[in-house]
Amino acid sequence: MPGKEKKEESIRILLVDDEQEFVTTLSERLQMRGFDAEPALDGEQAIESLNSRIPDVMVLDLRMPGLDGIEVLRRVKKQHPEIEIIILTGHGSDRDEDQARRLGALDYLQKPVGVDTLVQRIKKAYKYKTDAASMDESLSGEEDQKFMDKNTKKK
Amino acid sequence: MNPETEKTLAFYGRMTANLTHEFKNILAIIQESAGLMEDIMAVAPLSKEKYQERFNNSMTTIKNQLQRGMQLATRFNKFAHAPDHASDELDLGETVEHFCTLTERFARLKHISLEADTREIKLTTNPLLLYMALFYSLDSCLSVLPAKSSISMAASENSGKPVIEIECAGKDAPAAPQFFTKLRESSAWKELEDTAAQLGASLECAENDLRFCLFF
Repeated sequence: MPGKEKKEESIRILLVDDEQEFVTTLSERLQMRGFDAEPALDGEQAIESLNSRIPDVMVLDLRMPGLDGIEVLRRVKKQHPEIEIIILTGHGSDRDEDQARRLGALDYLQKPVGVDTLVQRIKKAYKYKTDAASMDESLSGEEDQKFMDKNTKKK
Repeated sequence: MNPETEKTLAFYGRMTANLTHEFKNILAIIQESAGLMEDIMAVAPLSKEKYQERFNNSMTTIKNQLQRGMQLATRFNKFAHAPDHASDELDLGETVEHFCTLTERFARLKHISLEADTREIKLTTNPLLLYMALFYSLDSCLSVLPAKSSISMAASENSGKPVIEIECAGKDAPAAPQFFTKLRESSAWKELEDTAAQLGASLECAENDLRFCLFF
């Protein structure tokens, strides 16, 4: 139900799909659930939007005019590996799914998908992202400690 | 499996994959629009007036998408029955128009517009091969044209004989000699030549325009 989510749960989402009515309506529904969601109508617009706003999670269609979803995925994962990507597509080939996952997509959903399912997957992706970030921090913390120990021993 | 069967199945595969993608998009839009109406009612059942415009927009979207889905389904059904008879009388104009509706997305994905300019012309032919000839015509043009070009498919008559005319345009499109050189190099063009021969149709290219015709 919308309105029950905490407003402070401001997970930033970028929805990328060339079906304008789909992407704007879904964006509106996610906003009603407290998410900071924005639509992009093609791959070029999605890549350009990263100059002003880095989302936590990108929900990405595969078949789009111009820059297609696979190319967007490739570029985003190269430049912003911290962005988690969920593929949401009407194109259901296993080969597409394999390729998307190999390129770093976290999840792969088929259209049409219920908004509750999508919300769950977005939260899961966000948790995966934040867990990975905290693990990186703790690893770098351990490395710092090892560095300190090594230097202390030298003294 | 013989090569002809493989070719036909590959053609059907591409057509159906494209159309199921379109249907999924339509269903997804209907689902989200209906869902938004449900959300509005859940959030503000007592202040419905505040959201009346958004509510009405969603209702209009649902109706439009149902219309889009019904049209696609009807045309897809006709296409699916194409292999029923090896020879059948059909309306060439209607077939070209249906084909353009079914394949518009292929062009859209390349930022190319596809239009049908047709009138009623009766023709007795193999319906499946006719759809395949239209498909290879489109596919070869899409392999050559840059974004922002246009393709027009027209059914007409020349000296009482049915003709399909395919005309391309666009400010960044190659000039006629380069266009036809590239077109003839494409695998789709070779398939088109084979299919035209099977249909007993002759394939002729214009000299100075980006235009070619199938004469029946």
